[in-house]
Amino acid sequence: MVTRIIHIVLSPLIALVVAVFLLGLSRIVIARIHRRYGPPIYQPIIDIIRLMNQQSISHGTLFELGVVLALAGSIVTVLFIPLGGTNAPPGSYPLAHGLLCPLSSSGGLLVVIYLMLFGPVSIALGAGASENPNASIGVSRKMLLALAYEVPFLLVILAIMSHYGTISIAEIVSRQQDSAWGVFSVPLSAVAAFLILPAMLGIRPFDLVGAPQEIASGPLAEYGGRYLALLTIQNGIQVFVVIALFVNLFLGGGVNVITFLLKVFAVFLAAELVSAVLPRVRIENALRFCWTWPTGLALAQMIITVVSR
Amino acid sequence: MDRNQLAKWLKSPVEMANKYSLHAVYFCTGCGIIEIPPVITARWDAERFGIKAVATPRQGNLFMITGYVSLKTLKAIIRTYEQMPDPKYTVAFGSCPINGGMYWDSYNTIKHLDKYIPIDGWIAGCMPRPEAVFIGVTHLWTLIDKGKADGYIRYSKNYASYRRNQEMLFGDLGWPPLYPSESPAEEARA
Repeated sequence: MVTRIIHIVLSPLIALVVAVFLLGLSRIVIARIHRRYGPPIYQPIIDIIRLMNQQSISHGTLFELGVVLALAGSIVTVLFIPLGGTNAPPGSYPLAHGLLCPLSSSGGLLVVIYLMLFGPVSIALGAGASENPNASIGVSRKMLLALAYEVPFLLVILAIMSHYGTISIAEIVSRQQDSAWGVFSVPLSAVAAFLILPAMLGIRPFDLVGAPQEIASGPLAEYGGRYLALLTIQNGIQVFVVIALFVNLFLGGGVNVITFLLKVFAVFLAAELVSAVLPRVRIENALRFCWTWPTGLALAQMIITVVSR
Repeated sequence: MDRNQLAKWLKSPVEMANKYSLHAVYFCTGCGIIEIPPVITARWDAERFGIKAVATPRQGNLFMITGYVSLKTLKAIIRTYEQMPDPKYTVAFGSCPINGGMYWDSYNTIKHLDKYIPIDGWIAGCMPRPEAVFIGVTHLWTLIDKGKADGYIRYSKNYASYRRNQEMLFGDLGWPPLYPSESPAEEARA
């Protein structure tokens, strides 16, 4: 019981620290690819301190509630995702420790699928309350983009669930640690998931939701001050959740937190390298892309998995 | 991080964060905006100093007025400035906002921008080079350090007179005052 409480406190803290670090890392990586020096890695912390102490302009209760709900949704999602560790008996792996996943026994992938949509919907709620036309365009784009990447994402999840015969992420992770990683056992699904990763993270080439040059940063157009600070943290945690899920499903999680976080950084770096060199696409191109290649690959893998069972 | 500044960070983190996280509202008011893309992109890379361009006034705290200010633009400038959350800093860029510059006898541009909104710093030149922007930013840091970049305080204190200047130009502004007048005596004098 005590370990479980400690884990419930520890998981969001790890997510928070790593999320802020990922935000700083992404700015540096993109700067170096642009042949700039880039900001220091702690720049997001400076921004958050500054925003926390700025005057915050509110547009009503729903506007504030959207921020709180989005942040709460992201933090709760973290509790359902294993952040390293193993269920195997002690001594089978060097430097291994118990599974760091406070709510591993309940829900699993199905809950994560629902909770991952909670953040975007809450932001849509708050942005809608601000009655800014740019925010409305951003919200409609966000919903369309979610429609675009949810189709291949659900097919990927379905293929994995039918391959491993379970909905528990902890079970999937331990099965991968025993035999081959998901990248090797469900390869086409892994490729499909990597192709829609930028869309799920909201980075280029699919950053059309918060495009500053087109629609004045979209749903965030009216957010400032400490609302924006909380939404920055929420964005970071959402990025961490998506990449952690990818690592758990395809790269075998990690036997301890350190190897898990190293894999998270590797996947994040790969996604950022793709995003730094590509231009932004329009929403119809994003839909067309997501519904052809990733959907096709995920569907093919699902058929192969079901037939070969 | 500069180790000499560690004590300052511990003493007043808010002030230091205000200094090193200047998010500029890119509102293209005149010809001077052409000097800003080189400043924020690969050639001069203002992001080194935490300066970033943001798209909406709600998220920014640095307002650069780049180049001449026509009457129509001034109205938008005032609205944008009033939408920005405190603390906010304004920098006028180029000769035109200082004294009219080469448009000193134009019928449609204003000569002294600081009659209408408070200005914290000026960057003179026609055009100032991107290096001048960085020198201006380091001067702004000094001003924030000494507590002299207090344009937003001056605006709330002397709002009646700023508003009077704005209304002299436009007649009715079309939006309610940002700070409703404090005392009836002030009202009577106006």
